[in-house]
Amino acid sequence: MTEAALPAPVAAPAVDRERLTAIGFVLPSFVIIAGVFALPLVLLLGVSVIDANGLTFANYRRLLGTPYYLGVIWNSLRLGLLTTIIAFLISYPAAFALARAHGALRSVLLATLFLPLAASVIVKAFAWTILLRSDGIVNETLIALGIIEDPIRMIFTETALIVGAVNIFLPFMILPIYAIVAQLDPRYAEAASTLGASPIVTFFHVILPLTLPGIIAGVALVFSLSVSAYVVPTLLIGEKYPTLATTIAKAYLLAREPGFGAAAGVVLLGIAIAVVALSARLSREPK
Amino acid sequence: MSEAAPHLVVRSISKRYGPTTVLDHIDLTIRRGELVTLLGPSGCGKTTLLRAIAGLAQPDSGKVELAGRDITHVPPHKRNVGVVFQSYALFPHLTVAGNVAFGLKVRGTARREINAAVERALSLVKLGHLAGRRISALSGGQQQRVALARAIAVEPDVLLFDEALSALDRKLREEMQVELRRLLQDVKATAIFVTHDQDEALTMSDRVAVMNKGRIEQLAEPRELYLRPASLFALNFVGLSTRISGTVLAADNGKVDVETKVGRLSALGNFQTGSPVIVAARPEQLRLGEQSEANSAAGRVRSVVFQGSRTLVEVDAGAGESLLAELSERDGAIPRVHDEIRLSWPVTETFAFPMEAQA
Repeated sequence: MTEAALPAPVAAPAVDRERLTAIGFVLPSFVIIAGVFALPLVLLLGVSVIDANGLTFANYRRLLGTPYYLGVIWNSLRLGLLTTIIAFLISYPAAFALARAHGALRSVLLATLFLPLAASVIVKAFAWTILLRSDGIVNETLIALGIIEDPIRMIFTETALIVGAVNIFLPFMILPIYAIVAQLDPRYAEAASTLGASPIVTFFHVILPLTLPGIIAGVALVFSLSVSAYVVPTLLIGEKYPTLATTIAKAYLLAREPGFGAAAGVVLLGIAIAVVALSARLSREPK
Repeated sequence: MSEAAPHLVVRSISKRYGPTTVLDHIDLTIRRGELVTLLGPSGCGKTTLLRAIAGLAQPDSGKVELAGRDITHVPPHKRNVGVVFQSYALFPHLTVAGNVAFGLKVRGTARREINAAVERALSLVKLGHLAGRRISALSGGQQQRVALARAIAVEPDVLLFDEALSALDRKLREEMQVELRRLLQDVKATAIFVTHDQDEALTMSDRVAVMNKGRIEQLAEPRELYLRPASLFALNFVGLSTRISGTVLAADNGKVDVETKVGRLSALGNFQTGSPVIVAARPEQLRLGEQSEANSAAGRVRSVVFQGSRTLVEVDAGAGESLLAELSERDGAIPRVHDEIRLSWPVTETFAFPMEAQA
């Protein structure tokens, strides 16, 4: 009778097969992510803390301990924050306009958002230098109109930097917000108004909270793009506004200090991860 | 209920969208505490009329008065109406209690008062135990109740229901019809329902307005609407009927004799001799066999549909005409398919409508 009490586990092979299939599906992406992303990241971390004499935190002390490099970090943060805030202020109403537009107008507006994405960042940044330089289109026009006599210094100012960055990264803010707004049921606003909420109250208590996921996605995208931007500050403001990205490039290409460049890269990554993690936390539905 | 004073008055409002007239000089007066349904097919203007009352659609002309106040140009948030939407439109970022409290919060009501009102509204719809839940965690029926509680909590002058029950499954919908009517009567609410469901209209309302092409075809109590339809459209839209086309042979004092392909029939109505008309009767008026002083027609049974307490018998009367009779087992054996039978029905329950008003 003891043999009969132990039937063969017939279900087990089926479960194993399912698991194998699942692993089979995951494996390619896992290999790619591990190979081209995780591994270089570990190497980057390693390079930043190991030199000829072994373990060292000298690179991080230099980065976080000298006023100059703290200024560099602040420049990056400032570029990221200003670009994100201004891009948001422009994008939020634009996303609503886009969602309200119909037919051909909507197609044209969407095309004006998508087409610039096809052009390289370098091209767009150069375009801004052409517009803003002393003998550029903006200055020449203003002089021709008699509004100014001498060209205004626009290129290589922080204003030029922020204007260019906002312009270049704008689609990454508009599109996620638009995606949410386009699906927003107009009945929510109507329900709020019949319950006694004025348009302003409806906006702050209903529309804004319901579009928050789009805002958070756009903010995370634009901030991580602009905080780490390299081409835009290099072309539009240059040497006098060093950022983490330009510092990394200089450390690798000019100073030949890979350890220091790696440390700057880790700090930049840390900032980006912090922002993404924070936004993921904010966008999660509270229980 | 003797509160006969007009509470909501719609005066000749019209609304056009481009070339389409959606509302065509609609007049409607509703008493305090009355439950009225706007019944009609999609596109008849019923939802636009409801939205005009709520302030969500601005009529091109006409006036809306609520509780003695002209609200024609008052924005929705200052009208004190409650709306229950078909999709409920519950705020997904708020809890059940948060949704119900919303209207009171934006009015600046004191917190203690809000809490009491929310509790009262939720217990009214039997959802007190779910106050802390998120909307996404509720079933369709529960969401419907929350939407109702949210609209009731602000004690609106009129409650407006836009196809509010149509998203529920049939059984739940029928339960809600009865429960909702009782609840609204308990709180003495004045309410307007918009629906295309005739059963819902007959069950829930004190009066029903049958709408067609931007006009109210008939405004009557459910019983009168069924027994004395004012137009062919109203006859068709509410309940079943036998309809036979013919020509008026003789007219006399509210009664006409009509020549039809199934024989000569008499009906109530005022027409000139020679007018093309549709003669109609409700199926429960048709009986097996002859009756004196009654209309009658014969034919072959085409189908027999058993529906519990009654059986619907469709008879092919020849020449493309058919008769629909609702028979009961108590009145004798139900005929079977292919049986040759004769049906008769009283002249006083036979109506005639002008042919060109064919819906």
